[in-house]
Amino acid sequence: MTQVPLQTRDLVAGKPAVPGAPLLSVENIHVEFRLDFGTVKAVNGLTYHVNERETVAILGESGSGKSVSAQAVMGIIDSPPGFVTDGSVKFRGVELLTMAEKERRQVRGERIAMIFQDALTALNPVFTVGWQIGEMFREHHGSTKKEGLDAAVELMDRVKIPLARDRVNSYPHEFSGGMRQRVMIAMALALDPDVLIADEPTTALDVTVQAQIMQLLSDLQEETGMGLILITHDLGVVAEVADRVVVMYAGDSVEKGEISDVYHNPAHPYTMGLMDSMPRHDVQKDRLNPIKGSPPDLMAIPAGCAFNPRCPYAQDICRVEKPHLHELGEAGRVSACHFVEEVRDARNRSGSRL
Amino acid sequence: MLETAPEAGSDKKLGEPILTVNNLVKHYPITQGILFKRQIGTVKASDDVSFELHRGETLGLVGESGCGKTTTARTILRLETPTSGSVIFRGKDIFKMSQKELREVRREIQVIFQDPYASLNPRMTVGDIVAEAWRIHPEVLAKEKQQARTLELLEMVGLNPDHINRYPHQFSGGQRQRIGIARALALNPSVIVADEPVSALDVSVQAQVVNLLEDLQAELGLSYIFIAHDLSVIRHICDRVAVMYLGKIVEIGDEIQVYEHTAHPYTKALLSAVPALDPNAKQVEHRILLEGDVPSPADPPSGCRFRTRCWKAQEICAGEIPELILRDTDHPVACYFPERPA
Repeated sequence: MTQVPLQTRDLVAGKPAVPGAPLLSVENIHVEFRLDFGTVKAVNGLTYHVNERETVAILGESGSGKSVSAQAVMGIIDSPPGFVTDGSVKFRGVELLTMAEKERRQVRGERIAMIFQDALTALNPVFTVGWQIGEMFREHHGSTKKEGLDAAVELMDRVKIPLARDRVNSYPHEFSGGMRQRVMIAMALALDPDVLIADEPTTALDVTVQAQIMQLLSDLQEETGMGLILITHDLGVVAEVADRVVVMYAGDSVEKGEISDVYHNPAHPYTMGLMDSMPRHDVQKDRLNPIKGSPPDLMAIPAGCAFNPRCPYAQDICRVEKPHLHELGEAGRVSACHFVEEVRDARNRSGSRL
Repeated sequence: MLETAPEAGSDKKLGEPILTVNNLVKHYPITQGILFKRQIGTVKASDDVSFELHRGETLGLVGESGCGKTTTARTILRLETPTSGSVIFRGKDIFKMSQKELREVRREIQVIFQDPYASLNPRMTVGDIVAEAWRIHPEVLAKEKQQARTLELLEMVGLNPDHINRYPHQFSGGQRQRIGIARALALNPSVIVADEPVSALDVSVQAQVVNLLEDLQAELGLSYIFIAHDLSVIRHICDRVAVMYLGKIVEIGDEIQVYEHTAHPYTKALLSAVPALDPNAKQVEHRILLEGDVPSPADPPSGCRFRTRCWKAQEICAGEIPELILRDTDHPVACYFPERPA
């Protein structure tokens, strides 16, 4: 494993890091896709940060903007049609959005790495996995082919791919789904990044394999101290690994907080609706209590609170005025609901808790 | 088929079986060569599967990808040619029926598919999709009544009947799944085979469809074979559950028996792998982390197929295949060393 010399850790693409700044902070980010038939507003003002050794989950359903916001952080949105129209992404206090592409490349992969949901499409089918893992070293460190392959074997060992030496020259299709995801993780970890963004890393996997992969990620985090941003729709996975959670709906965060606070005392009707929709494998439940309707069309997001047409508590003001995130009494808790207190009281009275 | 559904969860109250599957086997040949094809092996997708489906109940088939749950269901309907075994429906063996008899059975046993995007013809309106079944089975409903019945069915599955002339792309995933359900109901079936009907849907919409399926069952007395990989959905909707691994049922019982009195080590590992919804649950500490991958169904281990990954495996497990029988357990299990209730 080639370690980046320590002193360069204080530099981000040649710029000095700001002491005490969070590892990665995303502020008020907006992303839209300008298409022939209209503008899709995919992310509308997301804010969050992650520190070293911390796992932050971005929880949302399809179309909530969770993946697009991660692509904006990585700087891998196809533009056009995609544009980051507002906001800021800072790594160790250094702004990334205004950085030249050449400098951005030094951050991408080396300091912030990403793994994707579908390992089979993310890997190139005509190159061996060893070649693809080794590419990271050849590209970023100018290693030779031989050095690249040796490093690949070492990484495959580290992500617990059995018989790494024998399998380094195999092609992606020769691996099972779980093993392919391990190859992706090996590639992401190749340059020892400070932040790992995992976009639905286990969604395509069976539950026993999911457990193996989540265990691996958490072991690796323990070992390297990296910050982990976990993008998922799976409330169970979030409950298990996240320290903090950001709940997204229609491109914006509706609430944030420490994981056990959010699960035990949700502060937004959407979060409550999600929890009540979940069937349980460990408890008998008579009837699920779904959220009515379906998520909005991102080309025509409802005025006021985006959730208002589906919200059982919506009042007139919710249809006019967009609620902003505001702090609640508890530490680190914010919610974007006009009627947090009322909604929480109503829920506590009805006794529907996890 | 309008009898009321028997009470869920207790075997004793269940009515007579409406569908009996006996020793169903489905093997796919692996061939080599183009001109002179020869068989070099078999994939044992579904191997000696037996179960009964009772009137008005929901039977879950659960397991990971490649365990044979979909193959089993498709073979029951003879959408795949069975290798051996029998499926008795209303006293007759589906595998021995003529094409004419089979047509009648397929009217009574309808299917709902996983992918609400791929399973609807994009060039047909919703009304045509639902009414198409009556073109094939004109005896079910007279032509002049079809329009009215279509509207009724759309209403029943929670769609706006005014949208009868819309096309599938104008609906969301959850609504499309409702269209698929309306289509399945058009022929007044008594059994519905639902193959991963909610796994492509978001949680909030998934709950809507699960509730709809439960309501329709109570209203119409339907029996469901419900295939899913999601153990939570299965527990919620099913009265009885069969857990499959590599083409075989490893244990079968009612929902309480399988989830609370789990007997087979594989089921135990599977359940422990599901993340709990409670951040304070500390489930990770009790997790049984299985090593490696599921073996290839073309070359399954001798004896018990789970033995290569089982922490309880002993010599006997590599010998005879353990039968799915009661072993001092309250439900049948295919394991020589089952967990027993304390």
